[in-house]
Amino acid sequence: MSSKVLVALRIKAPPLRVFEVFTADIGAWWRPNALFSFTPRSPGVLAFEGTGQGARLVERLPSGRVFEIGSVRVWDPGQRLVFGWRQASFAPGMDTEVEVRFEPVGDETRVTVEHRGWDIVPSEHVARHRFPEAVFLQRHAEWWRALLTSLASRAAMDVKERAREGDA
Amino acid sequence: MNRAALTSALCYRDPKAALKFLEAAFGFELVMLIEDNEGNLAHSEMSFGDSVVMIGSEWSVQHKSPASIDGFNTQSVHIHLEGDIDAHCQRARAAGAEILMEPADQFYGDRTYRCRDLEGHFWTVGAPVRDVGVEEAEATSGLKVVKGWA
Repeated sequence: MSSKVLVALRIKAPPLRVFEVFTADIGAWWRPNALFSFTPRSPGVLAFEGTGQGARLVERLPSGRVFEIGSVRVWDPGQRLVFGWRQASFAPGMDTEVEVRFEPVGDETRVTVEHRGWDIVPSEHVARHRFPEAVFLQRHAEWWRALLTSLASRAAMDVKERAREGDA
Repeated sequence: MNRAALTSALCYRDPKAALKFLEAAFGFELVMLIEDNEGNLAHSEMSFGDSVVMIGSEWSVQHKSPASIDGFNTQSVHIHLEGDIDAHCQRARAAGAEILMEPADQFYGDRTYRCRDLEGHFWTVGAPVRDVGVEEAEATSGLKVVKGWA
């Protein structure tokens, strides 16, 4: 799979915790981006339904409908998460893939997102917004960077909250 | 991520090899990589401390790696360390950097070394080892500090 973006960020929490926040709290830290809407009725709220291989990443739309973004291909808590990613406008067989790696670095976690396979989505496809390839991928990478920054805030907030609970 | 106002962008003939080298030699971390349909690097960023450098290809006829212009450089990047500079130098050497000047104490209070990377970019690396006042610096260097000595 070519045509990819890779973004990495250090997060002040252990890998297992970051994995848990990434999956269980995705509805809280996800930030929709109008350029990359999953459906015309988006944004809704993202959620992983189930755990382990075969779980689904979905967007629960305001209308009550549920759109499946992709199924989970690898669910390795604290280490690796791989899931499919498609928008409602994708033709059958059109699919991209997201791999998230969680690596311990001291007392932090280096989270790396690799979103690959955009070469299967033709340049004239509506999802590309008529952007040249480089511009489209740059915007996409910037969005993932913003998403990981939001994930980091959520993970840090959670640790503080847990610390307060411990003090009480 | 907070973005610095100034960021250096370096050109390499083989930017993917440069990413591996810069991680192994200097401890830089890849924080962004964008590849086109052919798998070529389109854009990348590596972080070190609170800064990033952009690592790219020779993306126009007037953007060249030193490897393409007889080793000439028109600018170089300085790495400011807070830590063991001799260990940093050993790491760079082990990764294949050519050490042009071994770590040495400088009159302004830093210990520095200088090296050349796999395509001929010069890098200087420095770490503060002691506080030096302006009078001492002027006396040992013979220079006049006009402005900006902290």
